[in-house]
Amino acid sequence: MSDEKKISIVLAGQGNTGKSAVFNYLTGLHQHIGNWAGKTIEKSEGTLFYKGFTIDVVDLPGIYSLTTLSEEEAISRDYIINQKPDFVINIVDSTNLERNLIFTLQLLELDCPVIIVLNMYDLARKKGILIDSKGLEKHFGVPVIPAVASRGAGLSKILDKVVELKDNTGSHWQPHFGKEVESCIDELIPDISDLKSKYPARWIALKLLEKDREIIDMISGINEPLVRKAAVLGKKLEDIHGHDSSVVISDERSLLSFQITRESTTYKRTMQTINERLDAITTHRISGYILMTLIIGGMFFSVFSFGNWFSGLLDTLFSNWHNWWNSFAGTSVTASLGWAAIESVLALFQIAFPYILPFYILLYLLEDWGYIARISFLMDNMMHKMGIHGKACVPFIIGLGCNVPGCMACRIMETRRERFITAVLVTMIPCSAVSVIIFGLVGKYVGIWWAMGLYLMAVAAIFAVGKISSRLMLGEPVELIMPMPDFKTPQIRTVLYQTWDSLKEFVYIASPIVIIAGVLIHAINLAGWMPAVAAVLSPVTVTWLGLPAITGILLIFGILRKELILVMLAAYLGTTDFAQVLSPQQMITLAIVSMFYVPCIATISVLWKEYGWKKAMAVCVLEIAFAIFLAGVVKRILGFVL
Amino acid sequence: MFTHRHRHGRIYETLKEDLIPLSEMKEEQSGIIVEITGGAHAAKRLADLGLSPGAEVEVLSSTFFSGPMQIHVCGSKLIIGRGLAKKIIIKLK
Repeated sequence: MSDEKKISIVLAGQGNTGKSAVFNYLTGLHQHIGNWAGKTIEKSEGTLFYKGFTIDVVDLPGIYSLTTLSEEEAISRDYIINQKPDFVINIVDSTNLERNLIFTLQLLELDCPVIIVLNMYDLARKKGILIDSKGLEKHFGVPVIPAVASRGAGLSKILDKVVELKDNTGSHWQPHFGKEVESCIDELIPDISDLKSKYPARWIALKLLEKDREIIDMISGINEPLVRKAAVLGKKLEDIHGHDSSVVISDERSLLSFQITRESTTYKRTMQTINERLDAITTHRISGYILMTLIIGGMFFSVFSFGNWFSGLLDTLFSNWHNWWNSFAGTSVTASLGWAAIESVLALFQIAFPYILPFYILLYLLEDWGYIARISFLMDNMMHKMGIHGKACVPFIIGLGCNVPGCMACRIMETRRERFITAVLVTMIPCSAVSVIIFGLVGKYVGIWWAMGLYLMAVAAIFAVGKISSRLMLGEPVELIMPMPDFKTPQIRTVLYQTWDSLKEFVYIASPIVIIAGVLIHAINLAGWMPAVAAVLSPVTVTWLGLPAITGILLIFGILRKELILVMLAAYLGTTDFAQVLSPQQMITLAIVSMFYVPCIATISVLWKEYGWKKAMAVCVLEIAFAIFLAGVVKRILGFVL
Repeated sequence: MFTHRHRHGRIYETLKEDLIPLSEMKEEQSGIIVEITGGAHAAKRLADLGLSPGAEVEVLSSTFFSGPMQIHVCGSKLIIGRGLAKKIIIKLK
């Protein structure tokens, strides 16, 4: 038995119920709170001390149902069954009681000690929804606590209940379904009880009837005839209802949650609020798109203006550091490699703070407000043409700022297939560094319309690759289905926590590889191998692409950080007037190669971490081939035009 | 709320002609789900979000061409792709 003064609780709930807000409030450990459903995929843990007790809190992924459908859901169910936490705290969105109760019923079926938290109680009240929490408590036989997690209201009551009921959980009400389903369960239970399983018998019976893969596999190993018996009973249900037996039970559950909701809720008609009108405008088929263009455009304009200003400021700040380092550490090989490491870190900061920080703040502000789901809605159609769906626009938008967090955001996609296709497409999106090249080279010396043309080309390329990869990757495309959150006033605290968290993750993931690669490339340079490298690459750079041989070296440095291509070109030339050495045609060719040739090293490291080295390498190789091919073809076409 | 749910059996008395897929519903139209066609996998996912026979659905808005629809069901709003919406059979009110 565990320590007398120790209590373990897990937080479980559907996506978008403010579960993470409860977790943050309880543990003080800050992690993501999403306004799109099912965002927290990794398990988060924390500890708190209350009235002499040590309480371990685990935040389970946001889920829709406890019948295993996706990875995250499997994790949650396994955890509740195998770890046997003292309490499962079920966080419920009061404004969506009926939908949320479906999940609550499934938790109750698991026969674990449940405490129900009616979160966003104030919002529900504002919408004219009055929930009788005492009535629910009576019905379920478990504590029901109204709360407002964003303000911390009601949360200490959860802890009070946990401490109070620690040794006195007892049994609670079990959901009961229609008589056909119940008679099937009754027939199965005696056989299951003989198994002496650690799972509740009634629950196993339900899962067998629901054709839950995992449970069927488990039981068929012990008692094959039982599985067959359940299949026969399931067939009988199907004959009566004309549906698959798993659907029959889901339907019964949603009917039950409808009945319970009706009994425990009263509605007051409220005036059409500003938010509802805003909702109509932002999802309208004309004004919705206009507004989206304005909002995203405005977001990029402000991030880039701020970023350019701030990055310039940091440039002047860091400008003397190299000289200080040399006077302090000398100019030995070791010192020089040390500087390469420092320079890599500084470079990372120069991306992280001027561009990614404000970008994240604005993004999470939009998310917390509830706008991001509207973008998914508006963009779903276009995303479908690439074999993915509307949720993918979130990683895409983030990718325009920086591909690294863009690839990390692909976790919101439901299946591995969707996740990978989205990540590959994100690596092709011109990030802020690539935008610097496009505008600094092509936009400035060839013309702004040529720069815009390159963006259009990127969109076309992403479409084409999306179409091809969705054909190549096996598996059915998943259709979009997600709750549409109501607009709400963004909580500055939430936004800042999320920003800080994402920024931290970005630096953690990116910095080791950026430093190693920075030192390595610098070492090759010091060893004097660069001209040899340039010579080796010249068949591609000079013969096929028609660029100066030096670009071979630039492109290698560009793997570290794409804007280094421009920075180093300037350093090599001793001027920033690129028109002196590059023809317009060469500028466009170089920009195209830079756009597509390989994700930067930090992005590669994320791909590696999330999808394995094989896929990461495959993406790199294919993208290098694609970029070289495309740039070469465009160069030949431009030969006629320019 | 303002919904009426029936046990499954009763709904089948409705004539087939009155039924249309959710994907064909116009904005501001509402109806009751009669059946979910297609695989059990999809039907289950939908039922977990409250989209099951007997539930009342109202279309709030839809996008151009065959884009997703915004619907009101179970007292909350959902976004649903047109392909999935095709699988939901509705009896119009």
